Amino acid sequence: MRVTGWSGCLAATGLLLAGCAGGPGGGGGKISDDKVVLAVLNDQSGIYSATSGKETIEAVRMAVADYQAKYGDKVAAKEIVVMAADHQNKPEIANSKAQELYDRQQADVILDVPTSSAALAVATVAKNKKKVFIDVGAASTELEGKSCNKYTFHYSYNSYMLAHGTGTEVTKDGAKNWYIVYPDYAFGQDMEKTFSAAIKAAGGTVIQSDPTPFPNDNFATFLLKASNLDPKPQVLGTMQAGGDLVNLVKQYNEYKLRDKGVGLAIGLLALSDIHSLGPDALAGTRYTDSWYWNTDDKSRAWADKFQAKTGKRPTANQAGNYSAALQYLEAVQRGGTDASDEVVKQLEGYKFEDMFARNGTVRAQDHLLLHDAYLAEVKPAGEVKEPYDYVKILKTIPAAEAFQPQPDPACKL
Amino acid sequence: MLQQAFNGLVGGAFYALLALGLAVIFGMLGVVNLAHGAFYMLGAFGAFVALDSFGLSFWVALVLVPPLLGLAGVVLERLFIRRLTPLDPLYGFLFTFGLALILQDLVKREYGVSSQPYPRPAELSGTVDLGLFTYPAYQVFVLAVSVLVCVVVWVVLTRTRVGMIVRAATERPELTRALGIDVGRWVTPVFGFGVALAAFAGVLAAPMRAVNPLMGADLIITVFAVVVIGGLGSVFGSVAAGFAVGLVSALGNLYVPALSQTMVFILMAAVLLWRPAGLFGQQEAFR
Amino acid sequence: MIMSRLARAGRGGPLLLALGLFAALVLPWMIYPPVALDIACWALFAAAVDLLLGFTGLLSFGHAAFWGGSAYCTGLIALHTGLPFPVAIVGGAAFAALLALPIGFLSVRLSGIYFAMVTLAFAQMTYFVANQWRDVTGGENGLQGIPRELFGLDLSDSFSFYYAGLPFVLVGLFVAWRIVRSPFGRVLVSIRANPDRARALGYPVDRYRLLAFVLSAALSGMAGGVFAMGHGFASLEGVYWTTSGQAVMMVILGGIGTLWGGAIGAALVVQLQDFLATAGFAETGIITGSIFIVVVLLFRRGIWGTARHLLASRRKAAAPGEVAAEPRKSVDTPA
Repeated sequence: MRVTGWSGCLAATGLLLAGCAGGPGGGGGKISDDKVVLAVLNDQSGIYSATSGKETIEAVRMAVADYQAKYGDKVAAKEIVVMAADHQNKPEIANSKAQELYDRQQADVILDVPTSSAALAVATVAKNKKKVFIDVGAASTELEGKSCNKYTFHYSYNSYMLAHGTGTEVTKDGAKNWYIVYPDYAFGQDMEKTFSAAIKAAGGTVIQSDPTPFPNDNFATFLLKASNLDPKPQVLGTMQAGGDLVNLVKQYNEYKLRDKGVGLAIGLLALSDIHSLGPDALAGTRYTDSWYWNTDDKSRAWADKFQAKTGKRPTANQAGNYSAALQYLEAVQRGGTDASDEVVKQLEGYKFEDMFARNGTVRAQDHLLLHDAYLAEVKPAGEVKEPYDYVKILKTIPAAEAFQPQPDPACKL
Repeated sequence: MLQQAFNGLVGGAFYALLALGLAVIFGMLGVVNLAHGAFYMLGAFGAFVALDSFGLSFWVALVLVPPLLGLAGVVLERLFIRRLTPLDPLYGFLFTFGLALILQDLVKREYGVSSQPYPRPAELSGTVDLGLFTYPAYQVFVLAVSVLVCVVVWVVLTRTRVGMIVRAATERPELTRALGIDVGRWVTPVFGFGVALAAFAGVLAAPMRAVNPLMGADLIITVFAVVVIGGLGSVFGSVAAGFAVGLVSALGNLYVPALSQTMVFILMAAVLLWRPAGLFGQQEAFR
Repeated sequence: MIMSRLARAGRGGPLLLALGLFAALVLPWMIYPPVALDIACWALFAAAVDLLLGFTGLLSFGHAAFWGGSAYCTGLIALHTGLPFPVAIVGGAAFAALLALPIGFLSVRLSGIYFAMVTLAFAQMTYFVANQWRDVTGGENGLQGIPRELFGLDLSDSFSFYYAGLPFVLVGLFVAWRIVRSPFGRVLVSIRANPDRARALGYPVDRYRLLAFVLSAALSGMAGGVFAMGHGFASLEGVYWTTSGQAVMMVILGGIGTLWGGAIGAALVVQLQDFLATAGFAETGIITGSIFIVVVLLFRRGIWGTARHLLASRRKAAAPGEVAAEPRKSVDTPA
């Protein structure tokens, strides 16, 4: 076991150094080991790398720079380190890495973790280690439900926000009869439940709701069925995401369902999906988004800065990470310390407004960030004026309506 | 109902093309090509690159991409796979597994994980009246072309000398060698041909499916099940099973959606229980 | 030839055994404890896969079903009954063995490469079931918050849990070693070498294969159970086919048919994965794929096998004897 011995020595040295530097709680300063360490733990290679990935690290660095610029000499956190780890979409790696980041890299907060299973695993670590974890963009509502804990916060969006917004708004707009298809796994099942409930509450009817295989590349069965249902649905609501969504929409267009009077509404749509399909394939499709880069001057200004650094337009998740990092640092500033309990106290119930979160509140009961969401519609290619300018915002869904109105009773912080 | 059955056959066409390539490669080389899904993915990306970087239409890509990737397959066979064929087939399996990982991630590195845009060819964007119902033209085209390719391959295999050698080597490898037929000469071209078939399926898939680095990874396991159902080492069996599995999954989606993901594997288990060598396999030869 | 190879592995035994045991005991001092436990679990998993591949000649590409299936079962027992964690792990291993019965029954009807394809397909089916059946498995969210209960002992620290989990791994490895050296194991090896002859000698080949398959699954299940306990959750990743691939990779890296080689493979692969997580190089498949290719093309004996080969050839120079053979083309493959 030569190799393990060799790297073991390295690790042991690391431990020794950590000991010398004085672990958390040790030393006289209010900032543990005199620096604040922000760790971005996310998927840099798998399916989530398109919406979060490496560019997220840049977004967090931007937040650090903005924080330092804002407070100048008065910064509570003199030294701020941003580090990153790739959990490769494997919850096991996320779990081990999170422990290591908190224990050995002195991470004070872990950010991102967009994969639900990994996010839930990291939440447990945060709870055990009593360290802050701000999840951005995992869809599962369990993070603020039965798996919630004192040190975990949930940012950006969840399946409730996605499904409730679109289901309610599109039904209110006159599309009363729905046919829903959803991928048969946790995310799809959650979406379907919330979506159907929202449609019913808004006065619509779900004619039928079908689970589909996941992953799947042939949706023809369901598309053929859609136009033959009785009564004929006005909208096809699809909860597919990523590659499956692209498959479905390509085939939706092939079967010309729009011409047959069956519109399309989508649970989770990313700009990269619109880019893959071309805006015309989706023109008129509505969906709910937690943020869009070209909504107003404030978001646009930030998006320009982001593009200057990464060459890309930011996704909602990347913007969410910027905001999460910034609000974490602001909390450290207000409390004057990076001690977890104090930061949590500063964040709970905090109301704020930044480039990402409008009318933002960190709900004290379940640590879910409430903020305005948006009903978006894909523009036809003719109206697209610049790259990635694919949608227009039809409506702002106020923070109070966008998320679960009541905290899940299963959540006990 | 008829429409649904038709749709199943279109889905089955992809299984059939992939299973056919897999079967002839296995027959000639004794290698189960786990990278077959990756070649399918490369075919789709080939079509995308042809359009995106060189402005070449779908039709040009359909003619150009498969032979090019087939050629890459020939090089691969000459350089590496040749060394593995005299060994236990599991080494070929493991080699192609590694190869699949590399190909997938190389493409990921270049193009990212999100799907790439690829439009339908304008000539086929309409619908066709098939008498009983109308159907998207592109899907009809996919089915027709796949059936045509399978028939052509069948004719070549049964009516030409080369074909007979390949088929004999595929279905009765030891006997063929014992008869003193020089099989070795045909190994490389057959591997290239199998790869080209996968690439062909990939190009066909580009306009109707998501073009991303992972598109072949899960598909290949289903195709394995198809090959097992059809009959190990049976060329005809793999094609027939391809269409049959397509048909069954489409109807399964319709009537028992809860089972639709596992349908193919249940089918495989049933076939294994009933006829271990598959529907068209030779029972005694594959123990 | 193989017999004497096994015998020789026993002869150099005591020293190597002590060395291995020592390495296992000091591991969490040298590397980060959760990673150390991962290595231990994967080492047992790899040994279980090698039991089948190296000693029975069956390449299973579907062992994720047993590793991951047991992880779920272990987790469910611990979550819902509150029984001490060792009971949960044993329960998980038993479940894996039970699951292996029908899968094995159908799969051992085929041999060689078809066996690999069929086991892969069955594992994929297990994955789909786990993904869809979220009431039980938690679906893609995973089965979270598995408690580690042992008569009120505090095992929340990963360092102390390493020593709580290690005995299972050691017992598992011991069982694997006993199986290989038992008369049963010798029959397996002879089946691997020539199934027709074994059949002619009156051995019910399929039944032996099935039993080996079930035993291997039970050991994989034990490893998966400890792994789930160590992480405090069971996830879909555990039943996904890449997990099977990873175990096979550890075996070929360490050396097929060496049983202990898998531990070295496990240590290397887990460490590599841990390193890649912060290396900033996202395309891990390029690296793992290259390892596969290099080992398969140039290094088929694996690390342990090569070391043993070198040792044997030096010994041969002194006293002529047999040399550890490169895994040959097994006769039972349909080619």
